[in-house]
Amino acid sequence: MTRLPLRTRAAHAFQREVGRLAALFWVLPIAFIMYVFMRYRIKDVAQVRTRYRALVKGRDQPLLICPNHLTMMDSAVVAWALGGSWWYLFNYSRMPWNLPEYNNFATQWPTRVGAWLTKCIPVVRGGRRQDVSRVIKRVQHLLSRGETALIFPEAGRSRSGRVEADAVAHAVGRILTSVPGCQPLCVYMRGNQQDTWSTVPARGDSFYIEFELMELQSEHSGMRRSRDFSQQIVDRLVGMEEEYFARR
Amino acid sequence: MTRDEIFAKVIEIVKPFVKNEDALEAVNDDTNILEDLKVNSARLVDIILNFEDEFDIEVEDADADAVNTVGDAVALIQEKLS
Repeated sequence: MTRLPLRTRAAHAFQREVGRLAALFWVLPIAFIMYVFMRYRIKDVAQVRTRYRALVKGRDQPLLICPNHLTMMDSAVVAWALGGSWWYLFNYSRMPWNLPEYNNFATQWPTRVGAWLTKCIPVVRGGRRQDVSRVIKRVQHLLSRGETALIFPEAGRSRSGRVEADAVAHAVGRILTSVPGCQPLCVYMRGNQQDTWSTVPARGDSFYIEFELMELQSEHSGMRRSRDFSQQIVDRLVGMEEEYFARR
Repeated sequence: MTRDEIFAKVIEIVKPFVKNEDALEAVNDDTNILEDLKVNSARLVDIILNFEDEFDIEVEDADADAVNTVGDAVALIQEKLS
């Protein structure tokens, strides 16, 4: 794993600390908006959070959260569902770093500041490999420092409304192959009213959430190993989706 | 394998992923695979994996970061074959 320049490492340490100190003023309001204004609910929330907190408690290895992707709020809802707002105030390293599309918020400074504060690292999807690689190296660095990150293993929101096994984001596997001990946490989440992809989940939606820590193995090396890891994660999400629809 | 042969094979491999057919007709070393040929960035990985199969080489993620143009791809393959 390549070591980041001191300036970049310092910038991330600063971003993290400012976000942590201000967490009371963004973690709770976001949770408030989701719970009170949007009236989102998580099914079996107590059980989900107990399981997740037990899974990460005392865990030294880095964790990469890999959810399915249907709406632009997925990362916020997944984080809220797994940890709960108050818990993150005391376990800030478990608040996942996100990689939002740069062009979705870069045009206005309030959204840029907001994204910076909320542990986001902007990425231009479909951009030059060197630029994407720089972002990946930042995530690798943060994971190796005990932080948690969240990356969608599908290359965008699913246009079919189902996990798309052909739409694999290579970056997920690349991170997993390069950060020693890093494990993916496959998360399948879906609102009752979520028939297909959308910008935000419907107001009053109730979310099913299931997660599973994966042990990845591959006989390949190089880029093929990264691709294999990404594919295994997406395939597992396909399996989790089948289980969801079978139970419904 | 000569440079021209590698170049021709690279074009053959890239061709199915190209969305801008006009740019393919005027392709040269400086042609940018993503910007000029309009290849989907996610498909660039597939292309490089096809290079591995076709030329019997192994490419690391870091090597692939340097591939922007057709010329970059040819240079990478030449380096791996040497």
